[in-house]
Amino acid sequence: MATTATLTLASTDIAGDPVSVSKVATLTKAGSTNDLDQSSGLNRVHLRSTTEKVLLAANAEGNNLAAKVYLINKSEDASLYITVKINAQTTGKLYGGDFMFIPWSQTDTSASIKIAASNWTSSTGDIPVEYALFHEDTDFLTNA
Amino acid sequence: MATTNATLDLSSDTTDSALAFSNTTALNTAGTTTGVNTMTSVTKVLSSTNQVDLITAASVSTTHAYVYINNPSEDETLYFNVTIGNAGAGSATDTEEIGRLYAGDFMWMPWDVDDDICVTPSTADDMTIEYMVFS
Repeated sequence: MATTATLTLASTDIAGDPVSVSKVATLTKAGSTNDLDQSSGLNRVHLRSTTEKVLLAANAEGNNLAAKVYLINKSEDASLYITVKINAQTTGKLYGGDFMFIPWSQTDTSASIKIAASNWTSSTGDIPVEYALFHEDTDFLTNA
Repeated sequence: MATTNATLDLSSDTTDSALAFSNTTALNTAGTTTGVNTMTSVTKVLSSTNQVDLITAASVSTTHAYVYINNPSEDETLYFNVTIGNAGAGSATDTEEIGRLYAGDFMWMPWDVDDDICVTPSTADDMTIEYMVFS
């Protein structure tokens, strides 16, 4: 049972010579070589307001356990973005087409991952967002 | 302007029906289809368990960037705590922990270049960390 993530970065002209970086990670439990064995599957939601939403509710049980979050803004409009926060800390903006893949510590129940379609208006239309969580033993069902 | 693409391929058999998807995005400046034109690539060896201001907001001149951080260690017990928060804060009270990068792990995220990205090694023995910033 394995989950692998491969990131490839490539450019022919951002430097004098072509740049190509490829990294493969097999997702494992914290501090071990055992594979992560639980996932949320791939989810899709549509944001239709500027209201901040909790995408993934932190579970303090998950502190010091391994969890990885994948998140993508599937809008085809490059100007439409979602603001991503952990707790109250903004980490960045995902513009149309952008994705992120991060470890998630869930240091406490405040460390939820929150998103907001900050520049959404009624004329921009929905902003589709897809996400997946891969994790170990934490019982996320308690947050349902 | 430069053209830089990032592709993430994910495959998992944690579910009975295997999951696999791939996405490619062009790295653009904020809200545009104009490619980013600046790249920084750094490798550091850290030799204490002190928090280190790895990527400072002052080092990037835009308000939107992409960050790649990699822990190339082969010892699965070694990790970096990655946090984001006030510049050089050095205190868990004013930084937010993103997560732990264990050996072989990487992370990729957009960054609003508002607060520094810091790391804390799990051991005082030499630990190598690699990062790239596109802006």
